[in-house]
Order: sequence, then structure tokens, then C-alpha cells
Amino acid sequence: MRRNSIMAIWLFLLLASMSARAHHSFSSVFDGKKPITLTGPVTKIEWANPHIHLYIDAKDETGKVINWAIEMGSPNMLIRLGWTRHAMKIGDVVTIEGHLARDGSKLANARTVLLAGKKMFAVPSEGSGR
Amino acid sequence: MYTLARILIVTAGIIACGGVILSAQWRDVVTKGVPMTPAGTPNFKAPAPKLADGTPDLSGLWDAEKRPCNEAASVRGCLDSLTGIPIAFGNISATVSNTGPASKDLLPMQPWAEALVKQRRDNASRDLSITRCLPLSSPQAWSTFWIKKIIQTPDSLTILDEYMSQYRQIFLDGRTLPKDPEPSFKGYSVGRWEGETLVVETIGFKDELWLDVSGHPLTDQARTIERIRRVNYGNLEVEITVDDPKAYTKPWTVTIKLGLAINTDLLEYICNEDEKSVQHMVGPGAK
Repeated sequence: MRRNSIMAIWLFLLLASMSARAHHSFSSVFDGKKPITLTGPVTKIEWANPHIHLYIDAKDETGKVINWAIEMGSPNMLIRLGWTRHAMKIGDVVTIEGHLARDGSKLANARTVLLAGKKMFAVPSEGSGR
Repeated sequence: MYTLARILIVTAGIIACGGVILSAQWRDVVTKGVPMTPAGTPNFKAPAPKLADGTPDLSGLWDAEKRPCNEAASVRGCLDSLTGIPIAFGNISATVSNTGPASKDLLPMQPWAEALVKQRRDNASRDLSITRCLPLSSPQAWSTFWIKKIIQTPDSLTILDEYMSQYRQIFLDGRTLPKDPEPSFKGYSVGRWEGETLVVETIGFKDELWLDVSGHPLTDQARTIERIRRVNYGNLEVEITVDDPKAYTKPWTVTIKLGLAINTDLLEYICNEDEKSVQHMVGPGAK
């Protein structure tokens, strides 16, 4: 009974994180306790599977510019939700809300992307899908 | 271009009805021949179509039934779970979702299989087939986020999977199962009709495949029976019996439901095209 409960709790946590991105569990790469908001111009876009990667130059608290890699959902997922590969272009200033990578690298995921006054979801449930 | 209302419309279509209307994509696609209600909406409860020879036609795009996210219960909220989670995605044995703990979450595993599941669990499922960009086992493929396309002829049924552009062949031409098939992710499948149900028998799996995110294994000793029935125009049910004495102490059966996805196409998903997540995965048991 206790084992079942532990298993159930683990599944609950895993699914809650896995829901974000079917390619890997959220928590195996990102830390849900470390939210971050980054603003800066887009320097590079990799519109590819399994995750779109966006690179932005954002200033830290000292004013130093750091190039961040931002992980989003997969192209087919975002396409089905209305994104196109033309939605962002180099130089666009975006604000992303997401979470830091656990390994300390300059990587974060994006839950939302604020672009030209519109906030768009970047990691809808499928990680795969729709 | 992208609005919350649009998301919610898509979400409602996925969760609320057997069929799924997926029209929010880069171009408007309209599936032809969909029966309509007097109100002008797709009639997913219309009778299932049939081939010229009278057998049920299972052809179409199929999307696994999902369970909606519960905002109050979800650890990270529902922002990332707008379209829900395929019910058997996390655990093939139960209707587990992030709406809460499941009461039934263990299959009748042999001790080594139970240890394997624990090992996979403690490793945060980092070796999950989906994470490693490997093909899905055929039972697992029924309940993922990716759409499947069934193409049926009198002699065969082919399942194309959006995930990794995979294919699965089910032979309906009367052949028997081979005695020593080459082990594969999908196994070797033959099918026959029993009334309105397609009964598919499969052997020849690779060893220690994954059945779900939990890490339940499928071994090279497994034999599966899938009873596939198109309940009506918009609904498909797949009853899967897994007889795998190497991993489980007795056969077990689950039923996975899928809805017809209309107004969309398969959209390419080649997982290892730009895979760079694994290098950032840290520490066993990361939670």
C-alpha cells in the first residue's frame, strides 16, 4: 500500500513535468523552483525538432550581456497552435518567462514569449503534439 | 496570430469529444467526407465507414484520448498542459494523469522487471525511448501525443506515426506469424477480422522496450493481442492484451481510446534532428 502510494506520488510529479514536453521530463533538465524572466533581442533561431531553440542577448543585474539559449516546444506543436517559423526574426526584442536549467548553463525553457505586445505560449502540453 | 481563445477551442476539441478538430495550423486543411449533423458540426457518432468488401474501414488520423489538466492539482499549473495528457502515456495500466495520483499503478511484474522500473524511475526516465529519440513499441505508440495515420487495404493495415515518421505493418493477407522473426520495436503483426473487430497478434519484439513513461518493460518473449474496433465515425478503441511471462506474472489487458483528428495532417517530428537536451540532464532521480 505504501509502495503504491509512493509510486503514485512519483507518477504524479513525473507526469506533471512530462506534460510540458514529451521529449523529456521538464524536471530532468529544468528547475521548477528557479523561474526567470529574460528580455533581449533575438540573435538566433533554430526551428527544429525536438525543441525549437531561441537565442537572445539579455543583460544580467550588472549590465553584462549574456547570450541565453531558450528551449521551446516542437515545431509541429507550435504550428498547430498557430505559430509559424516566421513569427520571430533576428533582432526582435522578446521577453520570455520560464525556468533555469539545473546544470547551471545559460539555458532556460520558455513557457511564454512576449513579442510585439502579444504573449504567446511556447511549451503547450504535447512536447510533441498539438 | 495566436490567441488564448484559439488554444481553448483546440483544447476543447481534443478533450470534449471523441473526434478532434485541429484547424489551428499554418494552413487551413479541411478533411473531406466528414458526416455532418443538422447543426453543421462534424458528426463523430455517425456509423463507421466500410471498405468495398464490407469490412470496417479504420483509415484516418487518430489522436489518443487525453485527460484535462487540473489547475489546482498540477504542480506547475496548467499552462503547459492546455491540451491534456494522453491517459495511458504515463502508465499504460491505469488512467493516470496529472490530475492526481492513481490508485492503480502497478502491473503484475516479475521481480527483475519491478527492479527495472524502479531503476528507470530513479533515473528520471532519462532513457525513455522518446527522450532517446528511439522508436516507440507498438503498444506504447497508441497513447502518445503524436497523431497516427491508419491506411487500410484488404490485405494490410499500415500505421504511420508522426513521431519519427515511423511505420508499422499489420498483414491481413492470411499469412501466419513467423517462427523466428527478426526482433524489432514494432514486432511482427498479423491480423484477422472477427466481425467488426480487427484482431492483431504480434510477436518478435526487441528486449526491454518501454510501454510508458513509468518504464514498464516489454520483452522479446512478449506476445500481444490487439482488438481494434472503430466504434463509430470518430472513435477507435484498442484493447491490448500483453502476454509477456518474462516480465509479468500473468497476462494483462488495457483499453486505449482514440479520437479521429480532422482538419489536420501529419506534421513531421524527427526527434534527433537537433537533440541537445540529454547533455543538460543532471543527476539520477532529478525531480
